[in-house]
Amino acid sequence: MAKYVRQLQYLLFLLPILAIYSLFTIYPLIKSFFLSFTNFDGYTKAYDFVGLKNYVRIFVDDAITSAISYTLFFTFGKALLVTLLAIPLAMILDQKFLTRNIHRAIFFFPSIPSGLLLAYIWGFILAPISSGILNTVLRELFNIGPQPWLADPLLAKLSTIVVATWAITGWHAVLYLAFLQSIPKDYYEAASIDGANRLQQIRFITIPLLAPAMTVSVMLLLTGGLKVFEIPFALTKGGPGYETYSITQVIVQRGISETQYGLASAMSIVFFVIVLAIAIFQVTVMQRREQGLQ
Amino acid sequence: MTKTSEKRLWIIDVLMLPAGLIAFFPFYMIIVNTFKTMQDAAKSPMALPSKWIFTNYVQVFQETSIIRSFWNSLTITTFSVVLIVLIGAMAAYPIVFNANRLTRFAMLYLLAGFMIPFQTTLIPLFQLMSDLRLIDKIYGLIILYMSGSVFVFFLMMGYMKSIPRELPEAAVIDGCSVWGIFWRIIFPLLKPITITSIIFQTMWIWNDFLAPMLFLNSSSKSTLVLQIYRAKSEFTVNWPMFMTLTVITLVPIFIFFIIMQKHIVKGIAAGAVKG
Repeated sequence: MAKYVRQLQYLLFLLPILAIYSLFTIYPLIKSFFLSFTNFDGYTKAYDFVGLKNYVRIFVDDAITSAISYTLFFTFGKALLVTLLAIPLAMILDQKFLTRNIHRAIFFFPSIPSGLLLAYIWGFILAPISSGILNTVLRELFNIGPQPWLADPLLAKLSTIVVATWAITGWHAVLYLAFLQSIPKDYYEAASIDGANRLQQIRFITIPLLAPAMTVSVMLLLTGGLKVFEIPFALTKGGPGYETYSITQVIVQRGISETQYGLASAMSIVFFVIVLAIAIFQVTVMQRREQGLQ
Repeated sequence: MTKTSEKRLWIIDVLMLPAGLIAFFPFYMIIVNTFKTMQDAAKSPMALPSKWIFTNYVQVFQETSIIRSFWNSLTITTFSVVLIVLIGAMAAYPIVFNANRLTRFAMLYLLAGFMIPFQTTLIPLFQLMSDLRLIDKIYGLIILYMSGSVFVFFLMMGYMKSIPRELPEAAVIDGCSVWGIFWRIIFPLLKPITITSIIFQTMWIWNDFLAPMLFLNSSSKSTLVLQIYRAKSEFTVNWPMFMTLTVITLVPIFIFFIIMQKHIVKGIAAGAVKG
């Protein structure tokens, strides 16, 4: 009897999380899947099953196809840029130079405030008008006329990537730094006794030992990038046209503002599949790479 | 050896200076403009103020409800984070120290939903929140954020496995209850991972924009981030005023950063090395 009382007590510890998780994650997920096959509009009680119609509509809706391609472009662009910058930055911040701590703080700080705030701050710099700060600099220094940083389709896309990269590179550098500091110093000493120069040491010691950090960092960059919303929303509102429209913005717009619940749910399910597929593919490939390097 | 490397190291200082300046420039730019008049800011946005004024700061406190928004953000973040950490830690306890078929099933059930992005559940969640009358309620948002406890649960579970089993077992022999073991023995030992969890959850909730935008309508319930969003259209012409509002909202998170700096770095490292 006492044994059952004990088991029951243990169960009580699990109850809150099971309740919250079932109500706010699992139930909405199942419902999302269900709604994606209906024409439910959120108001009328009656709705019909429309089969795969919503899924077909995803691929003929210009805003949605544009959002999918922009989100993928943003995700891979940002992941590539951050990785290329964060690894050398971490190696530099690992050296014992005088202003090291100041530089660590400066590069890390942008990852602390909200993305919305950061994007608004950059809005003043990238303002396409001639009084925009970057345009003023270009005029004063190089006599270049105003560039439409946020109004030209390609420039707007690249601008959102640059802002996101500025914001998060320091954070990922800290992640790499943690791995750099765990590499035993005698590896380098042994290598230099064997006559390996600094570049060879980086190539054969540092890079292979950073491979696990890269798997984690790239996974965070990819899953985080796919969920992008605030930076393009605050910088460009999704424009020009639908050029910087994110998948999240589409779901909010089509689903909540326009109450096309069925269509937005189908979009959500497709989004989930994209996130899952990319995450699984990336982790598998990079873990294999880790083994190859070691 | 040390002399030559020291000589080489000051080159890094010199080379990193422009990189650091560029990285810091956006913050310099908004801070400097908060001390300018509108005309001064429009004429020379990058220069130091021709005449330093402090009226923008006074005006922000007088004309906006920034203090109210600050309290809303603080209330939402504090309650959410405390609940998330408690729920997450509690859930890991029976799964680690009382493994059986039932708790194993619970773990797999929680694991299954780990990768589900918030966006996927957004549409039904919006309906659910309005059915439960949780829209435009501070506590509604707190309840919603409690789903973050699944992430904390995984962190806690990983950490709890390193606690020797003999500790709770000895306590059972001494007649300690299931409840007592958790609060007196297990929970105090979780301090490092609790700090990491608090940092990550605080930063997420304090900075979140999507959920407050969707679930809080009235301006008296704005969070700081939401207020910035709403002020953007109000102050389109008055740049310095908007920048001042932004700078003031950066202050709390800056203080948080200074206090937590060491733990933040440790947290990232711990998360990365484990993952």
